[in-house]
This record gives sequence, C-alpha cells and structure tokens, in this order.
Amino acid sequence: MGAVLVDGFVLGLQFGILGVGLTLVYGLGGVVNLAHGQMAVMAAIVTARLIDRGVSTAIAIVIGIAAAGLLGIIIDRTIMQPVYRDQTDHRVLLGLLLMLGVGFVIDGVLEWRYPIEALNLRVGGDPVSLFGLKIRRGSIWASAIIGLIGVALVLFFRFTTFGRATRSVIQDEEGARLCGINPAMVRTVIFGLSGALAGSVAMIQAMTSPVVSTAGVGLTIFALIVAVVGGLGSVSGAFLAGILLGIVNTLSAFYIGTFVSSIILVAAAAITILLRPQGLLSRA
Amino acid sequence: MSGPLLSVEGLSAGYLGEDVVHDVDLSVEAGEVVGIIGSNGAGKTTMLRAMCGLLPATAGTVRFDGVDVLRLKGHQVMRSGMVYVPAERHLFPEMSVSENLALGSYPKRPDSAQLDLIYRTFPRLKERTRQHAGTLSGGEQQMLAVGRALMAKPSLLILDEPTTGLAPLLAKEAYSALGELRGEGLTVIVAEQQVPLALGLADRGYVVDHGRVTLSGTSADLAADPQVRTAYLGV
Repeated sequence: MGAVLVDGFVLGLQFGILGVGLTLVYGLGGVVNLAHGQMAVMAAIVTARLIDRGVSTAIAIVIGIAAAGLLGIIIDRTIMQPVYRDQTDHRVLLGLLLMLGVGFVIDGVLEWRYPIEALNLRVGGDPVSLFGLKIRRGSIWASAIIGLIGVALVLFFRFTTFGRATRSVIQDEEGARLCGINPAMVRTVIFGLSGALAGSVAMIQAMTSPVVSTAGVGLTIFALIVAVVGGLGSVSGAFLAGILLGIVNTLSAFYIGTFVSSIILVAAAAITILLRPQGLLSRA
Repeated sequence: MSGPLLSVEGLSAGYLGEDVVHDVDLSVEAGEVVGIIGSNGAGKTTMLRAMCGLLPATAGTVRFDGVDVLRLKGHQVMRSGMVYVPAERHLFPEMSVSENLALGSYPKRPDSAQLDLIYRTFPRLKERTRQHAGTLSGGEQQMLAVGRALMAKPSLLILDEPTTGLAPLLAKEAYSALGELRGEGLTVIVAEQQVPLALGLADRGYVVDHGRVTLSGTSADLAADPQVRTAYLGV
C-alpha cells in the first residue's frame, strides 16, 4: 500500500506539471492543446535519438526539452493565429481541432520513423529506505526535480513581473492591454514554456519507466483531465488535481485494473464539471 | 513645447465595417481637463477607443506627444503615456489591490512615490491592499481602475464614464477625487453622460451626438448653451 501511494504521488506530480502546461495555454488563448502529450513524447524521442548518436545525456535532455518549447512557439506564431483572431464562440472549437491535427501529425511521424524508439533514463542503484518504505531512486529524483519545477513556477507567477503579467492576461486580456502588456507576446512565451514543461515531464517519466513513441495520446488525455479537474486556467489547481488523480489512478490500477482506473479518471473529470464547473481552485 | 499634447483630426471608426464615429476633430493641451459629453450611445466610447488604438480607425489622424498613435497597437499606446480607463474597468478580479496597482506600472517596477499618491487620493484602497479586486464595491473598483492607470505615470489620463454603476453620492465623491488629481497637474479627458458633473470638473468640453462633435467650448459656455441646457441639464 505504502509503495503504491508513493508511486501514485510521483505519477501525480508528473500529471500536475502536464496539467499546468495545458491549463496555461487554455487560460491565455482559449486553446485546448490536444497535442500536449505528443509534444512531450516528441521531446523524449529527440533525446533518445541524440543519446543513440553519442550525444551526452545531459545535453540530449536539454535539446529535447528545448525542441518541445520551440515547437510550442512555432505552433503559437503560425496555425494558432487565426484562432486568436477569432472572437466568436467557434474559437475554442477551431483551436481544439487544429491542435488535434498537430497531435496526429506528431504521432504519425513518430510511428512512421521511430516505431520502436523509447527513452529510458532509468536511475540505477538499490532502492532507498525512507519511513519504512523502499523507494526507487528514480522516484526520489523525479519528485525532487518536479518539486523544484513547482516551486520555480509558483515564484515565477507570484513574484516576477512577467509572471504577474501572464496571470493578468488569463484574468482579463483587455485589462492587461490597458496596462501596456502585449497579450500576443505573453501567449507565445507561455506556449513555449508549456511545451518545455511537457518535455520535462517526459524526461522525468523516463527516470522510472521508458517513454515509448506511442505514449502521446495517453499523456494528452491525462493532462486534459487534470486541467479540467483543477479548473482550466488555474496553475495551483492543476498541481493539486494532478497529485490527487495520480494517487487515485495508481491505487485503482493496482487494486482493480488499469482500464478501470482510466474510467475512474474520466468520471472524476465529468463529476467535477457537474458539481464544480470552475474546478478545484479558481483561476490563476 | 509647440502644439497641443493630443490632436485628433478627421477621426472615423466603427464596428463591422460601419462607422459609428464620423470626422471627429479634437485637441487637448497639457494640464487641461477636457469633458466629452453626450448621451448613452452617442459614440463617446468608440471615439475614445479609436483614439487609443484599441479599435482600428477607418480615417483620420491622432497625434499624441508628437507620435502618430494610429500606427501603434493598443498596448503600445498605453506605454506611450496615454492611458485609458474603460467604464467596465477591466480589473484583475482574482488579484489583490496591490497586485492590480503593480501591474499598472508594467513593465517597470512600481514606483513607491506614485503608490503613495494613489493611496493618499484613495485611502479606501490602502485599507484593502490584500483584498481581491473582484470582492471590492463598485466605488472601490472605480478607484482601483483609476489608481492602476495612474501607476503608469500617464501624461494623459482618459476616463470613460467613471461614474458607471455608482450611486449619486459616490459619483460626486469620484469627481471630487478627480478634482484633487487635477491639482497634481494631470491632463485628463473624461467622457460622461452625467453632464453637470463633467462640466463641473472640466475646463472645456465637446458635445458628441450621433457620433459627431456638435458643439465645443469652455465649460461655462456649454453650461449656458440653451441646447445643452435642454438636452443634458434638464433645465
């Protein structure tokens, strides 16, 4: 039970970071990024290929994360522009469909070129005993790194000028413009950050289990559920929802079965929309 | 110094290809308070938004401090020192009063002397620095909207219907606070349908009707004008 809880918590932290990336992009531009998981996997495969070619692991990881960030920026500056210009109700649907298409493209390329590629950054060594539990070293590293990312994000959004500006665009885009903030620039930077966060999650996941080239769709669905439960546009909500759902997912997968755990996650999202449509926490 | 701080010539603008505002000429000297008066739907907001680059103009020129404003985007105009406060305020509801004010000075760090001035003018805000903007009363929200704009140290403050949603007593209070700010040497444009309030504050005024400037002059002249008296002052 204890070890399962730890696994659930570590998975939940990863869900949380995925959800934060999705929720930020939605909050800023109304785009539901249905390629979020695919961007993460693309980063993993870039890193895996570079390691295969003899590039040092650290550099390969940085390049993989940067590639996902760059992809986010390119998507924002190109095919998302008509979405941002559209002021009608169709906007969300258009963004959703375009990102679904991007997801198909990434999945297609990965399946075509690298069907059996996987990123494995497994951390060696014996499990560490902590509070009477045997915890894998990879899990400890993963938790520590995500903890750092989480703290950095909180500090960024609370205390930096750009972080505040980002929250202001989420809460009232016109108000932000009146303060001299350029919402388009904020969207571009944050889409890039969101991609980089997705890439980081892939690297972290590879520390405990290999990330395969077909994992994208699953990650996207997890990110979407987490963002919905946490409240679309809420960073701390996404974090909290990620941890809760990670534990729920792992416990139900362990005690009942994997497919049941997926159903439970979707049910959690549906019930949240019915009972608390604003999500666990309010925006930004 | 030569020429007015703001000069608008032949400005037309509207929505969905149809002009709402036609051929507006207007100028504001540094240090002046200028009222733009007219009834609801006269085109005041459209005119102000077009002047600030928040709505594309279909014709005309707007020069502010020597800069052709219509070539800039809305956020760039705000940074150039001409700051617009809309009737809907557009505050950040889930941020504290002090965070809202801090964003007003973006991208610079908040200036503490300016913050002191704002808290002196609106002591109510100082009592509520940590409260979320969304939980403030209508009057307090209006104070915060003006305060946030002042954080940018604007050389021209443009207020659109600052009395929207305020009870008559609060509306008067709001105008007396604006009177104090005027004493600080601020240049102000204020659009208002409560004409007596606007004429009480402003040096000069423009009357807008059906998207056109129909009359202009000193506040005293406008207050004495028979047309203005019957249409807006209820005399």
